[in-house]
Amino acid sequence: MGSKTIKIVLILLSALFVTLMLILPLATVLVYSLRQGWRTFVSCVTDDYTVKALNLTLLTAAITLAVNTAFGIFSAWSIAKFRFRGKQALTTLIDIPFSISPIIAGLVFILIFGRIGWVYPLMEALDVKIVFAVPGIVLATIFVTFPFVSRELIPLMQSQGCDEEEAAALMGASGLQIFSRVTFPHIKWGLLYGVILCTARALGEFGAVSVVSGHLRGKTNTLPLHVEVLFNEFKLTASFAVASILVVIAIIILILRNIVEFRLKREEG
Amino acid sequence: MSSLKTPPERPKRNVIPGFGLSMGVTLTMLSLIVLIPLASVPLVLRDYSLSEFWRVVTDKQTIATYKVSFSCAAAAAVINVFFGVLLAWVITRYKFPGRRILDGLIELPFALPTAVAGVALTTLYSDKGWIGYLFSKVGVKISYTPIGIKIAMIFIGIPFVVRSIQPVLEKLDPQYEEAAATLGASRARTFMSVVIPEILPAALTGFALAFSRAIGEYGSVVFIAGNIPYKTQITPLIIMNKLEQFNYPAAASIALVMIVFSFLVLFGINILQSKISEISRGS
Amino acid sequence: MYVELKNLNKRFGNFQASDDVSFGIKKGNLIGLLGPSGSGKTTILRMITGLETPDSGDIFIDGTRVNDLPAAKRGIGLVFQNYALFRYMTVFDNIAFGLTVQKKDKKYIRDRVSELIKLIGLEGMEKRRPHQLSGGQKQRVAFARALAPNPHLLLLDEPFAAIDAKVRKELRSWLRDTINKVGITSIFVTHDQEEAVEVADEIVITNNGRVEQVGTPIEIYKDPKTPFAAGFIGKSVTIADYGKLHGFEKIEGFESALLRPEFVHIMKPQNELYPHASQRGIVEDIFFKGNTLELRVNLDGQKLVAYQSLDGASFSVGDEISVLIYRLYLLRENEVRLAENRSIKSEGNFFI
Repeated sequence: MGSKTIKIVLILLSALFVTLMLILPLATVLVYSLRQGWRTFVSCVTDDYTVKALNLTLLTAAITLAVNTAFGIFSAWSIAKFRFRGKQALTTLIDIPFSISPIIAGLVFILIFGRIGWVYPLMEALDVKIVFAVPGIVLATIFVTFPFVSRELIPLMQSQGCDEEEAAALMGASGLQIFSRVTFPHIKWGLLYGVILCTARALGEFGAVSVVSGHLRGKTNTLPLHVEVLFNEFKLTASFAVASILVVIAIIILILRNIVEFRLKREEG
Repeated sequence: MSSLKTPPERPKRNVIPGFGLSMGVTLTMLSLIVLIPLASVPLVLRDYSLSEFWRVVTDKQTIATYKVSFSCAAAAAVINVFFGVLLAWVITRYKFPGRRILDGLIELPFALPTAVAGVALTTLYSDKGWIGYLFSKVGVKISYTPIGIKIAMIFIGIPFVVRSIQPVLEKLDPQYEEAAATLGASRARTFMSVVIPEILPAALTGFALAFSRAIGEYGSVVFIAGNIPYKTQITPLIIMNKLEQFNYPAAASIALVMIVFSFLVLFGINILQSKISEISRGS
Repeated sequence: MYVELKNLNKRFGNFQASDDVSFGIKKGNLIGLLGPSGSGKTTILRMITGLETPDSGDIFIDGTRVNDLPAAKRGIGLVFQNYALFRYMTVFDNIAFGLTVQKKDKKYIRDRVSELIKLIGLEGMEKRRPHQLSGGQKQRVAFARALAPNPHLLLLDEPFAAIDAKVRKELRSWLRDTINKVGITSIFVTHDQEEAVEVADEIVITNNGRVEQVGTPIEIYKDPKTPFAAGFIGKSVTIADYGKLHGFEKIEGFESALLRPEFVHIMKPQNELYPHASQRGIVEDIFFKGNTLELRVNLDGQKLVAYQSLDGASFSVGDEISVLIYRLYLLRENEVRLAENRSIKSEGNFFI
């Protein structure tokens, strides 16, 4: 076989794999959602429960982003700009949520805030509901996406070194001034990249949220949960119509991710 | 002992402000969101006797879920390594129309909500779906069988492998391959003796990442698995079932087994990666 | 003394980076901290800056003990080894940074920065980013940035290390002149003795965390106080059995000697000046050094280096020559003694 033939065979094999595993599932969602016509699609997408689920999903993602971005910046600052014992251990601990099943991520909050949980009496006394309610969904989502931003920022900030920050500090700049004027310009694309990955996962998280949500339609249903509920009720068209909202978001995220990655590589190069 | 002569490490930086604050925030958030919640798993089991715990985690049906999860995840990870190397190779070494789109699509499983992937794969590979229909003609069922589980796990794991191997191939100078080729090595031999050793550590990391993600995966697998006890029930699903029966200690027990297993895999990946950086540092 | 270090000690684990370091610096002087890498010179610089806290000892600047003063309050400008320019700021913003942080008014900042840009000769480059500058230009910007807030003391960490050889010479004299013009007390760290000798008013030689000697370059060259200082400044070869050289005898306790090429005079055997003081050697190698010739000479198995001017007698490899050694540095553990060739004195009083 000539190298040309090998090249063509390998490319075709790759294309086949990507078609079977990635493109056809996407196509399935779009085709099934439009199967009963445009009007059905629109009514499914603008359905009251769908809109409420979308709002809850966006709210959850927004809170998650705020929390994880803050964590990412603080943790990267302490890990990348200072020397201390146990740094490696700390970095490993931050990565834990990546290696744990989302089901367990949901479970831990049930074990804390649920009826058998040790915080339950306190929550009962305060009349606050955490699990099978919105706070639980937010908590579980934060847990599974916790390392996303810090994981992008730590290596980036480490590779930048500390000299510029040190120089700024010597001239009397405050921590906030150093971060905003010296460090931030370095990390803005990396931060955005981490934020995009975090958003994708936060919008789509299913397992962890499924455990803590209680599936109350219109109240504790996020979009992915709504897809499941409709699918299990054999409302395939409706289910795929809702799923298509998430597909569109996913494609937008993919495009953004690629643009930002391009910028990031250019900055580094 | 040259270590006595050279400074053991770069002096501590103490002029950059904000260590106390940022470390405080980091540890507080990490504890509140990750560490304390995780610690509550063993805490729930404090009134649980060891024999009770053992009975739950070695229950016949539970053992069956370990087997399904483990064997499917392992098989999916092996297939992913194969296709991961292929995709990474094609993306880094060949120029062809659609290469950038292919590269961008690899990331789809990270961006697409797992539930959407789950329902889409289930439908696509069911007897009535486009691909499932073709296979049902020859008597092969995919959805609601272990094959379906593997398909979902391949879907979720592929980006881990490609993204581990891709940077190594990008850095691997084609000159080595050319040098080997000019020395008369056949293409296959060049690939085996020059490329494979270079990407092996990255492939192993990718395998471990894909495997550990597949073991814990829920959203994309739950629909296509069908949850048939002893056949297609995965471990996260049995935890979910115990929860639905309000059997919290049992759920926590099985979760604990999974957490310990995940830690072992995480630990393995860390060792592997430190070995890799050692090799690449050339010692 | 404007800057005074008293008995500074600093350890990193097992490593004694500073060992009872004491010296003082006069106002307006340019000081070179010279030593091999790992000798503790950077640690001294970092302790003065406040990037490092000494384990014991005191640092005084202008009569005030600054040990407990935070780095930013010490009135020190620091030029980093790799400049540490802010990559995402223009030349103007880099230089202005210290003043902006101090919330000086806009007009003052503009005037001060343009004054400095003029000083460093980079007019018209205010809008450039660091990556658009050459090594020497970055160095100048780093220098101006450190000067902007009017520090009392300027510290430079290996200021020429990252610059290629050709520009380095030019930048050295520029830096020296500019510092003199500004009149700021400055300390720079270097491992290059040639650089220290050329640039500094005074040199502090460090070795193994200790200060070996403080003095002007000429003082240290002429009158080294320790074997290390004698060997580190100037070119030299070590001679173990110096008692065998004509005109010198072994002195108890001084185990070896140091010979500088400048102390060696070579002649054709027929032109020999002091037969008793001289001895015969063989030319082993000759190097052209641009303005002189450097000869490697074998003297009964002892190798030494001698210089010969280009318009003097010419030699070729393998020639037998007459070698006259005027003087030697005799070395003991912590003492250096100058020994003159005794046979010259006995033969006559004139010198070449």
